[in-house]
Amino acid sequence: MSIYEIGRICVKIAGRDAGRKCVVVENVDDIFVMIDGDVRRKKVNIRHLEPLAEVIKIADKASHAEVKAAFEKLGLAVWDKKSKKQTERPKQIRKAKKKVVEEKSKKEQKAEKKEAKAEQKEVKKETAAEVSVEEKQEVEELSAGETVEAETKEE
Amino acid sequence: MPRGMHKSRTLRRVFVKTPGGKTTLHYRKRKPSKAICASCKKQLAGVPNQRPYKMMTMAKTAKRPERPYGGVLCSPCTRKLLQQKAHQSVEEKK
Repeated sequence: MSIYEIGRICVKIAGRDAGRKCVVVENVDDIFVMIDGDVRRKKVNIRHLEPLAEVIKIADKASHAEVKAAFEKLGLAVWDKKSKKQTERPKQIRKAKKKVVEEKSKKEQKAEKKEAKAEQKEVKKETAAEVSVEEKQEVEELSAGETVEAETKEE
Repeated sequence: MPRGMHKSRTLRRVFVKTPGGKTTLHYRKRKPSKAICASCKKQLAGVPNQRPYKMMTMAKTAKRPERPYGGVLCSPCTRKLLQQKAHQSVEEKK
């Protein structure tokens, strides 16, 4: 039986986590073990570990939460992930699409203008016709009045 | 003939090929010495030796290994030191 049994507290002596304490969680094979604690949870070579005298009681393949509870009892620090939440990227609105919409509206506006102009012309024609009819009536009335006055003078 | 200031070997010599096809001699400042382990005096791996203006542009992670005593001690010396510290802590507890 190797010294790197489950629950053995060790010091990591190589890599980024060197100098930090950890506990053996799983024996992968004769060379590699899974560690957790004040280090990143990972599979390491036993040559990168220095075993200490202490052994704690933890289950085989214990989770990070269990290891954390055991380490807090011993008064040791625990490595926690500080992963950031992904934020949504701000979506850009295409300007080209807007232009297409504007162009359509311009076309529509032009058509509307044309229609409006045609309507105005028709209205003008109608009013001109009405005015001419009224003028004729006035002229007839005036001429009738003049004839009546002339008859009265003759008398 | 080289200038008087270029006769000494203070500056290193670099042969530069010009666009016309000729090779000319340029004089540049020498690189600083390589970093060595504070304990065993061996050359450190993963520590570049460039002129300060180039070192300033590099990231901190590119200038030394990211472990305790990185850029000061070599990896075997770091291991030995950490093993000694672990043994000391065990003895202190006893």
